Formats: sequence, structure tokens, C-alpha cells
Amino acid sequence: MLSRKPKAITFLVYLTIPILLYVFVVFFPLLTSLFYSLFEWKGGPNKTFIGGANYTQLIHDSVFWSAFRNNLYLVFLCLIGQVGIAFIFVMIINTRYIKLKGMHRTFGFFPSTIAAVSIGFIWTMIYDSRRGLLNWFLEKVGRADLQQVWLNNSKLVMTLVSIPLIWQYIGYYMIIMLSATAAIDTEILESADLDGANAFQTAVHVVLPMIKSTIMVCIVLCVSGNMKAFDNIYVMTKGGPGNASMVMAMYGYKISFEQQNMGYGSAISVGIFVLGIAVIGAMQLLQRAISKEEVI
Amino acid sequence: MISHKYGRSTGKRVADGIIGVILNLIMLIFSLSCIFPLFWMGYSSLKIKREFNADIISLPTHPTLDNYRRILTNPDYHIGASILNSVRTTAISVFFIVLFGFVIGYFLARYKFKGHRALWIMLLMGMLIPVHSLLVPIYIVFKQTNLSNQWFTLIMPYVAFGLPIAVFLVQGFVKTVPTALEEAASIDGCSFTRSLFNVIMPICRPVMVTVAILQTFSCWNEFSFALVLIRDTTLQTVPLAMTQFTGQFSSDYPKIMAAMLITMAPIVILYFVFSKQIIKGMVAGAVKG
Repeated sequence: MLSRKPKAITFLVYLTIPILLYVFVVFFPLLTSLFYSLFEWKGGPNKTFIGGANYTQLIHDSVFWSAFRNNLYLVFLCLIGQVGIAFIFVMIINTRYIKLKGMHRTFGFFPSTIAAVSIGFIWTMIYDSRRGLLNWFLEKVGRADLQQVWLNNSKLVMTLVSIPLIWQYIGYYMIIMLSATAAIDTEILESADLDGANAFQTAVHVVLPMIKSTIMVCIVLCVSGNMKAFDNIYVMTKGGPGNASMVMAMYGYKISFEQQNMGYGSAISVGIFVLGIAVIGAMQLLQRAISKEEVI
Repeated sequence: MISHKYGRSTGKRVADGIIGVILNLIMLIFSLSCIFPLFWMGYSSLKIKREFNADIISLPTHPTLDNYRRILTNPDYHIGASILNSVRTTAISVFFIVLFGFVIGYFLARYKFKGHRALWIMLLMGMLIPVHSLLVPIYIVFKQTNLSNQWFTLIMPYVAFGLPIAVFLVQGFVKTVPTALEEAASIDGCSFTRSLFNVIMPICRPVMVTVAILQTFSCWNEFSFALVLIRDTTLQTVPLAMTQFTGQFSSDYPKIMAAMLITMAPIVILYFVFSKQIIKGMVAGAVKG
């Protein structure tokens, strides 16, 4: 803190505009969604006050809850896929065998800088039934019997829309963890090697505890990032077939903009807010529990 | 005895070699898969539709720039306009995020003032709020205030959403800068504004570059708010315009690929030229944020 403080007017001059903008864009809409969620409103000039009816509907809306489950499933897959595979790759890269480390970093990180919309298109072309790479590959390896219209398979579709996200961000988490392992003293790894620890033991008992806080950062980023999945699903399936790949944001969009049901859409927005905060809150508790363990 | 030992070590060396090859192969497959789509789209966009449909993976036998020519000359595709819109929106948004982030971050790091805590909590909450819960309400608010569907529309949410992380990064950085500098400047009769922009800002350059890198990518790639706030095709940003192309020529993959490559070009070039700094900046932003 500085000893001399500028005048109050200086604070006002510098802080007013950004804070007003921030409140207008972030907090004011939250309040309006609370307000409009109490109305039957199709976006036109007429609104009818219906109290909590939208929320009663929301609680009994099976599509909304299956969308929430899809969100959680996607987050779960991405945790294993993004953070898990990234950790394995980090262990591989840190062995003495690996050549071209710089290339792996540059290329691996590349997909995470591309718009999720583009990633969605690329994978739509990969999954395409007639001209897609996946079916082409199956034919070449003689398993044409496995060919199908991939994105129409309602059982597989959530997994299929998760794979592009996983592929996109492996490199991102890999680089974050690499920067953490770079700080580990090589002597520690060498002594583990001398003590006869195999690669797996070294990974779990030596490296993992040392980069625990970084992994926790990755997990938090991964959960909050993938709760936001929307762009690639919008491009690939729009939530279909049926509602098989519906996530909460997609459902809110459909109700509000395709059915013009702004009142119920507002209630869904509030639902997304509450559930999103709940998931992130649970993550924070978990993180705190783990870091407490560390102190003991 | 000796021969036995020798044999074992050769065996070990062979096993070692095999492991090395396998591990290198795994990483190579991963790395190449990350840029493969770029190559695939690159050479496929030089084919015509018929050739592509006949064989999706082969190299073009008669490479042609027809797809590019047709996309760039047809005004209905407004691809140039969308790139221009994205560049403008991104540039202005990043400028204000960096500026506001710097100012607020500096104030939070250096002074206790009325509302200090409230401001801090507000920014923290902004990071935790699930951004899609704002999609519908922002649309409603912007529509009622006639702020939607203008050339400047997207700048407002982009600046607001980018602000918290920018503030936290700058705040963390300023805390590490000794206050002696500003004390000396103020004793020398330097005004507050001058010390802020001429003394502190140059020191904060590295963190401001980090913020700028982070936000350039997130603004350029943002889709959902552009989708609900922009109606006019002439105001569309790149991700939004892309969803239009694919609708228009859904069966013509080479053309879609050409369009995607054109719109991806600025960010891809930026990435491969500055990849070291970009990776460093994004990691710093992720870990400290």
C-alpha cells in the first residue's frame, strides 16, 4: 500500500466507466433474468405474471435434467481425457527417450487456440457417414461393418461430441503440467530411478505429489471450461438426435431463441446459474479438502 | 558369466530401444493428429467437389484455386466483412480489457478505498458465474436498450468477461513491484496520472502482454454471444459467419474447407509465428488466474 493516496475524485474518474460497464453486462442481466423468469413471455409485448410456475416446470422438466446429466458426463469424460491423457503424455515426454519435444509442444498446443466452432466443423467432417474420415478408415482396415451415421447414434453421440473437446485440450493441459514438472529437481527423479522405481511408480509416487497443486488447477479449469460446452455441440448436433446430446446452455438457447419462450428461457438461465455455481462450489470444497490434507 | 552378463545387457538395450520407439511413436501420432486437419483441409480445398467425393484422402490431381476464387468473389458470402468485423471487435475489446484491467488491478493492489472489498468480490464472482446463464438475459437487456446488433455490440460483453482475469493478473504483478518507484515519482512532483502511465505501465508490460494474448484468442473465437446479439449478416464475426457457410454449401466440403482456412488464417499465422510467447502467456494466464 502506498503512503500517499490520490483524491477520491481520481478514483471516480478511473474506476467509474469500467465498473459501470461490468455491472451492466454481468450483474444487471442476472437480475433481469430473475425478474422475467416469473412471467409467461414469448418475447412479444405481452407478459403475464405467473409467479413460480416456470420453476415448477423446470424442476419437472426431464429434458433439462438430462441436459444437466449430459453436462456432467461430458465433464467427466474430459477430466479423464484431457487431464488424464495429458498427465500420461507429460510422463512420456519427460523420459529420456523422447525426441522433438519442441515440436510436440507447438503442435500439441495448437488446437486449443482454434475456435470451438472450427473444431466442431472439422470433426463433423471426420464423423460424416459418406465422406467422413472415420468411415473411410474403417473401410480401409476391413471393418466396414462398423460404419454408421455416427452423429445419429443417440447412445454414442455425447461421447462423440466430447472427443473433439478432449483432443483439442490435451496439449493445453500437457503444457501446463510440463511447466510444473520442469521445476522438479532432476536429482529426485534420478534417485528414484537408482532406487529401482519403475516409470509407473515414479509417476504416481514421486511426480504426482509434487505437481498436485498444478493438477488441481487443471482439474478446476477443466470442470469450469467444460461446463461451458456449447459451441461445438451447436455446430455438430444442435443437441440431437432428439435430445441425446442436449447440454444446459443448448437447451436454454433452444427454448429462448427457437421457441421464443423468453420467460421459461430466463428460468432455465437461473437454473444454469444455480447448478453451475453448485458444481464449481463442490470443486472448491474438494480443492480445499485436498490442500488441507497436504498441510497435515 | 561374462557372456551371460553381456547377453542380458544387449537384451536390455533392445528392450530399451523398443520402448523408446513406442513412446516416440505415441507422441508423434498425437502431435501430427493436432495439425493433420490443417493439412487435410489445405490440400483438399484445392480439389473440386467431385474429386473430393470420389476419394476424400488423396492428394489433388488437378489442384485448383477455384473454391477460393468463388468464395472471395461472391459478395453473398461476406467472408472479408466477417474477418474485418472480427479484427475490429477483437482489437478494440483487447485494448479496453488491457487498459481497464491495468487501471483496476493497479488500484486494487496499491490502495485501500471504499468499496475495495466489494469490487474484489464482484470481480471474483464474475469469474465463477457460468457464462451461459447470461446468454438469454444479456440478449433481453441489449435488445431493450437498442444495444444489440450494432458494430460495437460485442465489445461490451467481451470487455466485461475479460476484465476479472486481467485485473487479477495485473494485481498480482503490481504487488511484486516495489512502491519506492511511485513514492520517488510523487516526491519529484510527478502527477498521479503521469506516474500511473509513465512509471508503472512500462513496468507492467509483460503482464499486459499476457493479458492481451489470452484475450485475443478468446475474443476472436467467441461464438455464443455473437450468435444471440448479432442479426445482420454484415456484422457477423468469423465463427458466426462460418456457421452460415456450412449451411449454404453443406455438401461441398472442399468449399467449406477453403472458407474455414481463409477465416482461420490470421489466427493460425499468429500462432505459428509467436508460438513460444503465446504458449507462455496462455500458461501464465491459466495458472495464475
